[in-house]
Amino acid sequence: MAKKKVKLMDICYYRSGDKGNISNIGLMARSDKVYEIIKKEVTPERIKAHFKDWVKGDVIIYPMDNLQSLEIMMYQALGGGATKTLRIDQTGKAMGNGLSKMEIEVDEDVLTTVT
Amino acid sequence: MKKVRVGAGSSGWPDFKDGALDVAQNGDIDYISFDHLAELTMAILQNQYAKDQTRGYIPEVIPLMKSLLPIWKEKDKHFKMCSNGGGANPPECANQVLKLAQDLNLGGIKIGVITGDTIPLSRLDDLRKQGWNFINADTGVDDLEKVRDRLLAAYVYTGADEIIDAYSQGADLVIGGRLSDNSLYIGNFMYPLGWQFTDEYWDRIGAGVCVGHLLECSSWSAGTCSNLWEEIDYPKGNPGFPIAEMYENGDCIVSKTETSGGAIRVQTLKEHLVYEVHDPENYIMPDGICDLTQIKLEQIDKDAVKVTKFADKSRGKPRPENLKLCLAYNDGFISEEITIVCGPKVFKQAEKAHEFVLRRLDHLGLKPREMLWSIIGWDSLCGPTVGAPPPDYDPPEIGIRVAFKCDTKEEARACRTECGHLCWGSLGVGAGFTNPPAIRPVFALYPTLIPREAVPLKLEIKEVK
Repeated sequence: MAKKKVKLMDICYYRSGDKGNISNIGLMARSDKVYEIIKKEVTPERIKAHFKDWVKGDVIIYPMDNLQSLEIMMYQALGGGATKTLRIDQTGKAMGNGLSKMEIEVDEDVLTTVT
Repeated sequence: MKKVRVGAGSSGWPDFKDGALDVAQNGDIDYISFDHLAELTMAILQNQYAKDQTRGYIPEVIPLMKSLLPIWKEKDKHFKMCSNGGGANPPECANQVLKLAQDLNLGGIKIGVITGDTIPLSRLDDLRKQGWNFINADTGVDDLEKVRDRLLAAYVYTGADEIIDAYSQGADLVIGGRLSDNSLYIGNFMYPLGWQFTDEYWDRIGAGVCVGHLLECSSWSAGTCSNLWEEIDYPKGNPGFPIAEMYENGDCIVSKTETSGGAIRVQTLKEHLVYEVHDPENYIMPDGICDLTQIKLEQIDKDAVKVTKFADKSRGKPRPENLKLCLAYNDGFISEEITIVCGPKVFKQAEKAHEFVLRRLDHLGLKPREMLWSIIGWDSLCGPTVGAPPPDYDPPEIGIRVAFKCDTKEEARACRTECGHLCWGSLGVGAGFTNPPAIRPVFALYPTLIPREAVPLKLEIKEVK
């Protein structure tokens, strides 16, 4: 099977928010196959590398099989938190959009499974 | 099976007022709840209350009630209401609502007023002396000493116990302070369905915590801020607010009125179930802990989704022994400025301005504690994830935003005016100025825990004569 580079935004939905200085992203797979892929490919190391100095602490990922989603927690990730941060996006609502730009390599036919 | 219909009324300040009115008018509801408080709002309200004892509540409660009480009056089925809009001053908020009710000839209406969620700072010191550690949830250590002399306010996210008490004493409307968003809804499930804080009910309370989460952000479960935004419509410009039909066994149907826009789909609920929950197996709220991995969503009609059990495991666990305590403290001042750069060569101009500002700070001896430089139209929201702009990309215009954090207001102003604003000096012709937002004090938050028994809450029932 030929491989293809896709962005997470092509195969997932996302919504993100905050608690203090913790950014939280819900990454929702758009098919069974995509869920199996993101469980393997979207790792704390890759997420940290993707956000560079915007995420200073640990990244923890919780799988949610019932919703085919990953619950991603990123510590020290909001420039101090809603009330202290200098960012325009004080509550990290766009952090999911940021993650959605991450590229991963998938089998070419995966895109056809996305609804 | 016994059931109760609970509507969402508000998710913050401000929210679509017509959403609540639509739910009350057309939602055939038994209960409706109003959350008005964001993480920081209580600190602002406590500050207001300290200066003027007739303030400190959410002013929006009054016009909202002015519109709602007439609907309440004309309905044969008088729905019950629950609100945390009392903020730092629930008694005064209740007094104002009582006056409204009197003007509307609503004799006999009862208001439950809950107080005690605001903790005097001296009690924190007492608890520390007794050996309690206020571990900072952000850092994992008790470093309260560092901020003790800058503390402004302390407030506890409280649970549904007093809401349930208020209903059982006949309250039609409950007004509290920092009642947790989730508890505003849990009380509405537990009281009418007879659920107790005992082992038999944790599964159902867990389900209630989940559904409370789905309701507490109002339209956010019904298609606003959604990945499906392109296909979701608002024919009359009114987003729908979710309504939960909760059954005795904890299963539930979430829907919305036909008179509102938006949508209730598995996807719109799913995106809210993954929103701000952290460890999904332990979504901790004052009244119970929900295991969100045990929830199943199923579309049963247009704009109706059934929320049930995913497997044969409990959806809930016993409520935590401690409550969430937020401490707010002063932490300097933030100033910011936006300048619009007109092309050509927008990114090159912005780069030059950046260098100019850094040199000027140095030249003037200004030392902001933090500075953030971002480009609106490129990286202001997603930061480093967007990389550098491609060399051949030159949009007609971009915005430069610079923000400073300083110890004093004077220094924050100097950074903004002398450097942020005057950065136009280094740009080409055609820079556009904007009116900068006011310099704002930083109320930093120190999230921690407090033992439940250290938070004595008080319920008072007031009645309209």
